[in-house]
Amino acid sequence: MLLLCVALSVHAQASSPDLLHTVLGELSQHSAVRAAFNQQRQNPALTQAQDSSGQLLFVTGHGMLWQVQQPYQETLALTGSKTSRIDAAGHMQPVRNERGVGQISQMLQSMLAGQLDTVLRQFNVSVEGTPAQWTLHFTPKQARVAQVLRSIQLDGGAFLQGIRIDMQDGTQTDIRMTDTRDAGPLTALEKQALGLP
Amino acid sequence: MNQQGLWLRAGWFAAATLLMALFGAWLLFGRDRSPIQTDLLAMLPATERNPLAEVAAQRLAHANGDRVILLVANADDDRAKAAARELGHALAKDNVFASVTAELPPFDLQQWVAPYLAHRFTLLTDADRTALAQPGYNPAQALAQRVNEPFATGVGTRLQDDPFGWLQHWMDQQPWSRSPLVPEDNLLTAHRDDGSYVLVTATLNGSSYDDVIQKRALNAIDQAEQTIERDQPGTRLLRTGALFYAAAARAGAEHDVHVVGWISTIGIALLLLGVFRSPGPLLLAFLSTGIGIVAATTVSVLVFGQIYLLTLVFGAALLGEAVDYSIQYLSARANAGDAWEPRKGLRQVRPALLLALGTSLLGYALLGLVPFAALRQMACFAMTGMTAACLSVFWLLPALLQRAAKPLSTASVSVALALQNAVARFASGRRGIALAIVLMVLAIPGWWQLRHDDDVHLLVAPPVTLAAQEATIRDITGLGNGTQFYLVQGADSEQVLQREEALEQRLQSMVDASQLQGWLGVAGMVPSMQRQHANQALLAPLFAQPDRMRQWLDGAGFRHDDIERLLQAWPGTPLELQTWLKSPLATPFRYLWMGDAAHDGAATLVLPQGDASSALLQKAAADLPGVTLVDKPASISDLFGRYRRYASLWLLAAILLIVPVFGWRYSLHDVPRVLAPPVLGIAFTLAMLGYLHQPLTLFHWMALMLVLGVGANYAVFLREGEPHTVHRPGAMYASVLLSAITALLSFGLLALSSMPALRDFGLTLLLGIGFTALLVPTSVAHRTTFS
Repeated sequence: MLLLCVALSVHAQASSPDLLHTVLGELSQHSAVRAAFNQQRQNPALTQAQDSSGQLLFVTGHGMLWQVQQPYQETLALTGSKTSRIDAAGHMQPVRNERGVGQISQMLQSMLAGQLDTVLRQFNVSVEGTPAQWTLHFTPKQARVAQVLRSIQLDGGAFLQGIRIDMQDGTQTDIRMTDTRDAGPLTALEKQALGLP
Repeated sequence: MNQQGLWLRAGWFAAATLLMALFGAWLLFGRDRSPIQTDLLAMLPATERNPLAEVAAQRLAHANGDRVILLVANADDDRAKAAARELGHALAKDNVFASVTAELPPFDLQQWVAPYLAHRFTLLTDADRTALAQPGYNPAQALAQRVNEPFATGVGTRLQDDPFGWLQHWMDQQPWSRSPLVPEDNLLTAHRDDGSYVLVTATLNGSSYDDVIQKRALNAIDQAEQTIERDQPGTRLLRTGALFYAAAARAGAEHDVHVVGWISTIGIALLLLGVFRSPGPLLLAFLSTGIGIVAATTVSVLVFGQIYLLTLVFGAALLGEAVDYSIQYLSARANAGDAWEPRKGLRQVRPALLLALGTSLLGYALLGLVPFAALRQMACFAMTGMTAACLSVFWLLPALLQRAAKPLSTASVSVALALQNAVARFASGRRGIALAIVLMVLAIPGWWQLRHDDDVHLLVAPPVTLAAQEATIRDITGLGNGTQFYLVQGADSEQVLQREEALEQRLQSMVDASQLQGWLGVAGMVPSMQRQHANQALLAPLFAQPDRMRQWLDGAGFRHDDIERLLQAWPGTPLELQTWLKSPLATPFRYLWMGDAAHDGAATLVLPQGDASSALLQKAAADLPGVTLVDKPASISDLFGRYRRYASLWLLAAILLIVPVFGWRYSLHDVPRVLAPPVLGIAFTLAMLGYLHQPLTLFHWMALMLVLGVGANYAVFLREGEPHTVHRPGAMYASVLLSAITALLSFGLLALSSMPALRDFGLTLLLGIGFTALLVPTSVAHRTTFS
């Protein structure tokens, strides 16, 4: 029943529901993925773009580790609605509890896990391209979210390759992923940070 | 006194009764507010030691009490939301609700942030405070982290107003940001694996305990529930609030009064008809008890201003003791046969009735000394009721019972005689003593297994479904339970906020350890001046040299104008408590501030959220000056324990008090024999309760008090009456058995009650009166054995 509902709403919103399902199916094949990332952010309050880069690990159903290496060193664990900072010794310190509008990371987690219904509750989704090279557009449904967030765009092929986030205040964030691969075995620290057994 | 005097007195008595009944009816039904108190917690003693805690508890009860919390659940998100909207519209149409909140008003982000900007340098989160206090704090890196933060959504403050994100972090911690309910489609929504939950709240246009409001509100909610379940299939409505508990308690008590009242009335009627073989005595017996109940209710309302439901239920049971007086008089008439003369009959039963009434009054007066409003009211009710019933026998019944009556039915007398003889045979002489010893030995393991239990849930046993719904709602919405809270007191508002901060630091570490879901307190929203100045002092070194700050901000890419504006804004002003209290944002939390209620100094409430044990919550308050955990259920349980101990002492004192009374009427040598039936009855009842693994509660002891009272009555009736019925062996015991069975029919039926307390009460009486009635022939055994 739930699947049917989801299928129906996808049909209503996605220009090519088959492609969306193919893409989601492909993405959720990989239960743990590693990649290198480059993030560029343009904020109208700042005179120049901000660049940062590092490594990320995504584990379906558990969250992601975001490890910035340049221009500073920091590891963040984004699990569900929680964000924690992990110091060199592996101690986790809660940074903030995001909720309300701050659900972009949650949305991504749901997306990558193939949980379309969670995403569709918050966003209108459209898709274009082919299974080998696709682009997904997300626009917020909730007025309160739309006051802040304009849109999100994901693109990729077998793996997710890029994320672009546009805010209403003019801030743009562009994340490019390279060297994406199945994660292989996780280290003890990674497991602990993501709450894995 | 002549015949005319008899009628005159009866006339006066009848007129007084009628006036009393009219007055009572006016007190009960003639006024705007019914004096019947259905709030079970209201009969508990005011929180002792700290009157402010009581004000706080009442304020919380008011904040929560007149509010109805509904959660609309559906596996389908759209249906859940549509159902919640429909529910909101349906309830808003009914003016029994003062306000209904389903859809939230439009929301302007900047309007929400703007008031805080002036205070951005004095409001810091614990995490930022810790980071800033570190010797190696690197502002340039902090800025880089902030501007590169992944998936930052920038909700709240603008980057240029809050480059380091301090205010943003602080606002993220505020209660409205922490709630598990998220505004979605203008509805407060939570998502779980099994679907969506949407919150709808309503405030009653009156009290939850007002029965008119109760009925109308429940009706409106039930109808709306049916509509939304029909329109949005699969919808479930979870509900909580004092309204539902009060309604359930009322329904339970009404059920009890109906079941116990009706079954006992019909049972007693059949019994009296069978024994006296005519309906007249039956009507008179009920008339006498009725007069007792009317007088008791009227006087109780007059003295206490209101009457507790528990007293009314207890009153229904009191029928059993009050009816004894008329039964004795009616039996005397039946036994006198054609020689009946009402005044002579009265003289014959008067000593027994006065002795019985005297011991009962003595006992209940003792109960009235217990500083527990509900027990006092029961004592007042019992004393008035029994005095009135007894007076009706003295003054009203003789006028109405002029003619002689049929003797007691032969069947009942011969059964009583057989039983009396059997008991007497077993209980006489050495055999009796041996038997008593054997029974005592058998009782020892029972006594050994006695335990006690003082849990408040004995008194307030909400229906399981309501409790389960409340638990679900609490789990999903994070709303507190309202019965446990901290009261923080101090000399002034500043000291109170500082003390609250000390408490909240401990609570936060419990939250971090997952022992607590969260907490809600004023200091989390307006820190103390001390804390705000300390925050400012932590930031001061960064702003001490504006050029350095310019350099950092410039390095991070901030614009020249914005940097200057920020430097201009430093150091800002601290957030004043009074300013905050007046702001619209404070409205939902204003009740936490008790400044106006505290006569000297100030006070606040801190509400722990989630399920933490009383002991853990107590530990968090330990050694903190001015912080008290007010834990109503725990303190009530504590009081129950204290009164249970009082009650057991009372029982002992009452027995000792009866000794001289009996010693005066009989001889000291005979006292053990007269007292043995009730005392042994109590002893065996305790043993049985032990064997049944019933933990003893205050209510068991209260029942044992009644056992002592009626047990002593039976012994007195039998001893006093026996000489007058030598011509009809067994007749006196038959009338005592009649009393006992009517008592069992009324009291014992309380074992069917929906309230655990009354169940305990009923079971104890069932056992106690049963044993006592069986043992009572031993009180005269040495004098008369019939064959």
